[in-house]
Amino acid sequence: MLNYVWIGLIVLGILIAVGNDLKDDFHNTYRNGESLNAMVLVDQPPSALRESWEGEMVIPADDFNAFYGVTSATKEIRQPVRITTATTGESSLLLNVDAAAPEPWRTMAKNATSKDKLIGTLRSIRFEEGGKRAHVEIILEPIRFVKIRAVTQAALDYASTAVNIALGLIGIMALWLGVMKVAEEAGMIRIVTRMLTPLTKRLFPEVPPDHPAVGSMIMNLAANMLGLSNAATPMGLKAMEELNKLNPKLGTATNAMCTFLVINTAGLVLIPATAIAVRAAAGSANPGIIIGTSIFGASCATIAGLIAVKLLQHMPRFKKDDPALQPSSEREGGKEDAHD
Amino acid sequence: MTELFKTALTLVSFVAIPLLIFLFLGWGFVKKVKVYEVFVEGAKDGFTTAVRIIPYLVAMLFAIGVFRASGAMELLVALLSPVTNLIGMPAETLPMALMRPLSGSGSLGIMTELMKVHGPDSFIGVLASTMYGSTETTFYVLAVYFGSVQVKNTRHALPAGLIADLFGMLGAVFICRVLFGI
Repeated sequence: MLNYVWIGLIVLGILIAVGNDLKDDFHNTYRNGESLNAMVLVDQPPSALRESWEGEMVIPADDFNAFYGVTSATKEIRQPVRITTATTGESSLLLNVDAAAPEPWRTMAKNATSKDKLIGTLRSIRFEEGGKRAHVEIILEPIRFVKIRAVTQAALDYASTAVNIALGLIGIMALWLGVMKVAEEAGMIRIVTRMLTPLTKRLFPEVPPDHPAVGSMIMNLAANMLGLSNAATPMGLKAMEELNKLNPKLGTATNAMCTFLVINTAGLVLIPATAIAVRAAAGSANPGIIIGTSIFGASCATIAGLIAVKLLQHMPRFKKDDPALQPSSEREGGKEDAHD
Repeated sequence: MTELFKTALTLVSFVAIPLLIFLFLGWGFVKKVKVYEVFVEGAKDGFTTAVRIIPYLVAMLFAIGVFRASGAMELLVALLSPVTNLIGMPAETLPMALMRPLSGSGSLGIMTELMKVHGPDSFIGVLASTMYGSTETTFYVLAVYFGSVQVKNTRHALPAGLIADLFGMLGAVFICRVLFGI
């Protein structure tokens, strides 16, 4: 299953990116090669020493929206510009695109030759009021393959994000695995395990009720519910390691592992701290109002997930790989490639 | 009552970590465990576990990154919005529901954006934050947890996890409509 979803994400992503770029080309979303009329308020006119002059390009919102066929401009556009007039050849301009600029200029600037700037050529220029204002007709540089470039960038960025996340776990992991080891040696985990045996026996029938995995799983779930995510992950990984000790076929998930994972992905938290913090930052009158609704939503997720995991494990396609039902009971060391 | 519950839980989440460390290490010391030596022995695995996860996390996050950057989300939203309109889920929150299992930072960004545009106490704002709290980032959890024990054949964990996400989102829509309905 994961194989299909994984390749689906990648193949669909690339195909849709190509499709979007073709669509942009077809509709000429970025108006490549079309000329746009604008006015420039001149700050520094050209002098004998300088061939370039600086000013502010002004385009009425309606003109901009009509030109690009968008509705993104809500007020008059004002962006700094520098125009270099050449005696021979084409005059050029360099348009600064900042955060105040409307779409599609920001997207265009992101994909332009130089970042956050759009280069263009000057088709015509007409001064008025003694050189203070100028009417210009410009063609901006052609912008193509926006999505494909974004996909390339994302692939590289996310790959290094993954490494950063993993490396960031090292310290927390070491701390909690150390604490857990002491707790284990002291018999603490066994006490926790015994307290909740009636529940864990039902959820994880494959795991012996006094196995250390049970203690780790309970502590992980408790930490998760309290919202202690940086303690919960190390405990959860510890639990996975213990569960893996019961796994007759390394490299394949056991029923208990799947059940444990689904409880984790459903993410039942008593206080959804992140969401509350964002709400408070956004100026909510009552940031905590979502506590009850979140608990309800996450309970739905948990119950549905548990039912699903218990039903799906009997489906032939998942059952045939069940490590507990493999003919040879010895551990195969995970050499075998995963089939779906 | 809810205030009290909230204060108690906030308190617990503040003191829980020092309390756990104190309890576990203190109990170990009482039980005559060589605490320092055992701690170091356990902590040794921190590095290997974290490093073991890397290939799994790279595979997962890179695929999600490609999918997000391609504009596939907009296409999915366009395809699914007629269905979600039927159950009274505003189309604005559909990207949130789709992003939640894929990316934690992505859904956090969508949630923040929705609150900025519609206001945190609007129906959309409340629903988006409820959705955020209603499930975990399934793909990330899957990669990290199974990666740490080198499990490649994840069997029914992903479909079950996604079913959980689906019901989490449906539950969020249901409860928000009942309590803050439009």
